[in-house]
Amino acid sequence: MARILLQNVDLEFRVDALKHDTFRSAFVRFVGRRTSRTIKTLQSISLRIESGERVGLIGHNGAGKTTLLKVFAGIYPPQRGVVLTEGHVCPLFEVVTGFEWDASGWENIRTRALLLGMSPREIDRRIESIGEFSNLGEFLDIPVRHYSQGMHLRLAFATSAAVDPEILLLDEVMAAGDVSFMESARRRMNTLMERASIVVFATHSLDMLPRFCERTILLRHGSIVADGPTEDVVKLYTEAASEAPGAFAENAAAPAQP
Amino acid sequence: MIENVVREGAGNVDLPAGLQDVSVGQVRRAFKDVVRSARLWHIWVRLGLQDVRHKFRRSTVGPAWIFLNLGVLIAAIGVIYGRLLGQDLHEYIPYLTAGLVIWQYLTSSISEGAHAFVNSEGYIKQISLPIYVYIFRCLVNVGVTGAISFSVFVIVALAYQVPIGMGTLWVVPGLLALIACTLCLICILAHLHARFRDIAPMAAVAMQMAFYVTPIIFRAEALRGPNLWWVVDLNPLYHLVEIVRRPLVAAQPAAPVSYVAAAASLAVLAAMAAGIIAYYRRRIVFAL
Repeated sequence: MARILLQNVDLEFRVDALKHDTFRSAFVRFVGRRTSRTIKTLQSISLRIESGERVGLIGHNGAGKTTLLKVFAGIYPPQRGVVLTEGHVCPLFEVVTGFEWDASGWENIRTRALLLGMSPREIDRRIESIGEFSNLGEFLDIPVRHYSQGMHLRLAFATSAAVDPEILLLDEVMAAGDVSFMESARRRMNTLMERASIVVFATHSLDMLPRFCERTILLRHGSIVADGPTEDVVKLYTEAASEAPGAFAENAAAPAQP
Repeated sequence: MIENVVREGAGNVDLPAGLQDVSVGQVRRAFKDVVRSARLWHIWVRLGLQDVRHKFRRSTVGPAWIFLNLGVLIAAIGVIYGRLLGQDLHEYIPYLTAGLVIWQYLTSSISEGAHAFVNSEGYIKQISLPIYVYIFRCLVNVGVTGAISFSVFVIVALAYQVPIGMGTLWVVPGLLALIACTLCLICILAHLHARFRDIAPMAAVAMQMAFYVTPIIFRAEALRGPNLWWVVDLNPLYHLVEIVRRPLVAAQPAAPVSYVAAAASLAVLAAMAAGIIAYYRRRIVFAL
């Protein structure tokens, strides 16, 4: 049984921390002249996703979609609230990070698969088919530093797609693929989505959403604005966006002095 | 299976029955994470070995650089300082080699350790493995490099017919203590450097200075006069080096005080590591 449960989750980023703290700024804070700002990325998020659900996440840039996915994945521990995830999570986020640049494609497949929770024996069994699905051919023998962005995507997607996840977290991964890859990726995603018990899919392609997800969550400024049947939420979103173009458009960052 | 449970000062929460107990203290939770990380050994062993290979991937002589580096150092220092300090080369060269090998291991675990999290940023931000996987990864990297350079000592030991006997076995507890200390050091520095990026260069400067006050090139006895004895005897690095070096070069245990000092260092480092883990553990991902 897979399940995601969030209760009153708050997530804050300290801007200072993002800029990499120096001793000086730590000292300055210690002395009392506060220079750090807090960005509330998620605010009192409560939700429950049960086995069998396919959930879309929509909202403008900076609304907190990716952050919320990373909270589901256990990557960002929230400052307040409860996060409970049951089931093996397979995240599929921005794929440009997490490569060993000097290693070959094959080696990277192995490493990624291990990190995603596959056992070495399982990898031995499936590495051929992963390589095949990536369709990178002999490029798999050269270091990935020479790959193009689209090739990174293929490699990452092919590996992640080979993992049998209970909870699949997707973050707009389809952006950089070419037409032929998009097609095979879409087909693979369909099967993945059928196999996984929970799928959460953050996207801007509103036309794709109803096909994948029956439930959609609309985020704005790090809070849940709407949560319900996809059609209704998408309608709400598009209407609000057309009526007041600025309504959802500004950054989620609602900076507050600590 | 419950993969990830976070419970932090939340009030009115209708958690499923039986899950309330999961709220354990930070230190205990951290300890669980460490155990979980250690169990994922096939991940960090692979990553660590990969790091070792990549260090030399595009170089022509590859790992031979480790030998060349040490060989040149030993030849230069051995001849010059051996003469300057009036040492018998038959004893001095193995002593110097053992010291240098251990010192390089210490230095690299400090400089690489500081970057353990920073270098793994791509993974930490994408995949929710317990972050200590990347600490162990660093230890594998540093340890394997150290093991390779240790073979230089083996060659030197054979060439200079260093005594070998039951006393040599004292190297085992010494080595274990040294490795445990470096593991704590890596852990401390990795956390701190993720947050304060001045840590790595500071540690490098400190180690460079320490090299000149720690008996590696010269012998401890040379400083044990009435005025400077404390430079040697209060230097924990000296004791850490000594508990490995003495059994290697003399086939006998180091002075008892060295074992006491090493145990004390380990206790202090472990306590610091535990404190830093409890405090920074959940902030690392935000600091990267």
